[in-house]
Amino acid sequence: MSKFHNPLAPKFGRLKNKSSEIKAWVRELLNLPDDTPVTVAELACRDEGCPDIETVIGVLEPGKPIATFRVHLTMVEVTRASVAEAVG
Amino acid sequence: MDFPNRIPVFLLSGFLGSGKSTLLNAFLNDPGVRDTAVVINEFGDVPVDHLLVRKGETTISQVSTGCLCCSDTTDIRKTLDDLQSAAQAGLTAGFTRVIVEMSGLGDPAPLVNALSPEKTGTGQVKGNTSAPEYYLAGVVTLFDVVEGASSLENHFEALKQIAFADRIVVTKTDVARELEGPQDFGLLSQELRALNTSADIIDRREVAFSSLFSPRPYAVVDQGEDVVGWLALEAAMAHEAGHDTRSEEPQGESRHGAGIRTFSIVSETPLSEERFHRFLALLQNSAGQRLLRVKGIIASRDRPEEPLIVHAVQHSVSDPVRLAQWPDSDRRTRLVFITNGIDPDPVRELFTAVVDTSPISLTAFLKKAGPAFVGLILRSVSNLTRPSRRSQ
Repeated sequence: MSKFHNPLAPKFGRLKNKSSEIKAWVRELLNLPDDTPVTVAELACRDEGCPDIETVIGVLEPGKPIATFRVHLTMVEVTRASVAEAVG
Repeated sequence: MDFPNRIPVFLLSGFLGSGKSTLLNAFLNDPGVRDTAVVINEFGDVPVDHLLVRKGETTISQVSTGCLCCSDTTDIRKTLDDLQSAAQAGLTAGFTRVIVEMSGLGDPAPLVNALSPEKTGTGQVKGNTSAPEYYLAGVVTLFDVVEGASSLENHFEALKQIAFADRIVVTKTDVARELEGPQDFGLLSQELRALNTSADIIDRREVAFSSLFSPRPYAVVDQGEDVVGWLALEAAMAHEAGHDTRSEEPQGESRHGAGIRTFSIVSETPLSEERFHRFLALLQNSAGQRLLRVKGIIASRDRPEEPLIVHAVQHSVSDPVRLAQWPDSDRRTRLVFITNGIDPDPVRELFTAVVDTSPISLTAFLKKAGPAFVGLILRSVSNLTRPSRRSQ
């Protein structure tokens, strides 16, 4: 592990980093304060015609029920545009 | 059997092939360990894992209808109630602790929600009126140092398993070329720490079982913002699903996506071990990372009274373990496959062609199989035969 750096080696934080990126997009698009909890998870989609996996975003604003948004893409495929479409 | 009022429940998670059954066996074989009931949850239609765990005085409850995380959360409460009823009726040994060995694809969130204080308002899960109260007393997650990074990169379940843990046990450190010393373990710990800031990270070779399965406070708020958010999202999605009239499909069929599936091969007649290993090598070379897991028990033609336990995880095949005797009355070969995007039929046909017939009929299989799979197999055969030509 310490002998050389393999650029093709799996990245521990790939999904974690992608999750952080999506959260930042959601906060920006919904104009949320930085301390508003936003959660991102990959789940299977139950809807016919949708991809097997979808990304589900939850916004937990104080005093409000959790708001959920679905992006019909795997987490690594999610783009800012797809988030904008989901939350728009 | 008199039950204590409160019984601790521990979740044992870890991605496919990370060594959960091996660790559980080592724990249960500790002479100091008693009064433990085990719930084994397998993602597969032919249960195998329960054969790999020592029975003895231990009460084993086997749940193989998909994942507990995919079932309604009442399943875990019903399972706990059933365990207690069987013990009270004298059918099984009593217990004062429960370990739930989750499926390698298991998402801890539904089970943590089911065992959380908010579920009953009293702080514990309560089943029937005379039942003891069960509470979540710890989440132990195994991280396989050989395949774990790949699992974390490609499977969101693996990331959640690490994040929910209050104890992370790094397994296969004895065979990993990636770890050459304490410095490397420290680097690995730093990378895991980025995914879970609070868990104890322990080398499997140095683990004290007492620290893994002794009750301690498990508070989800200590696990970080992601865990709290996932639990809230899980509860919201479950509520939404409860009001969803569009689908009558059980959620368990789809939580992991249609690409991930499990299937089994059962063979009545004892097998040639050499042919079986050839089958496994062909399958691994052709399927690559799409073959997530193979596990099973093999009836060997040469030593039919001493079955072989086989394990393979993605690219890694563990040395088969020979048992001194069959663990139950079923003497058939039973293999379970967990795959991502591989249909069962070509695998079954390959098994029949390579293992189950005499003489070997690989040519007939290749004529019958689809062109894409044949291409993969032919490349694998080519790869397999090249070294032997070189050595001639």
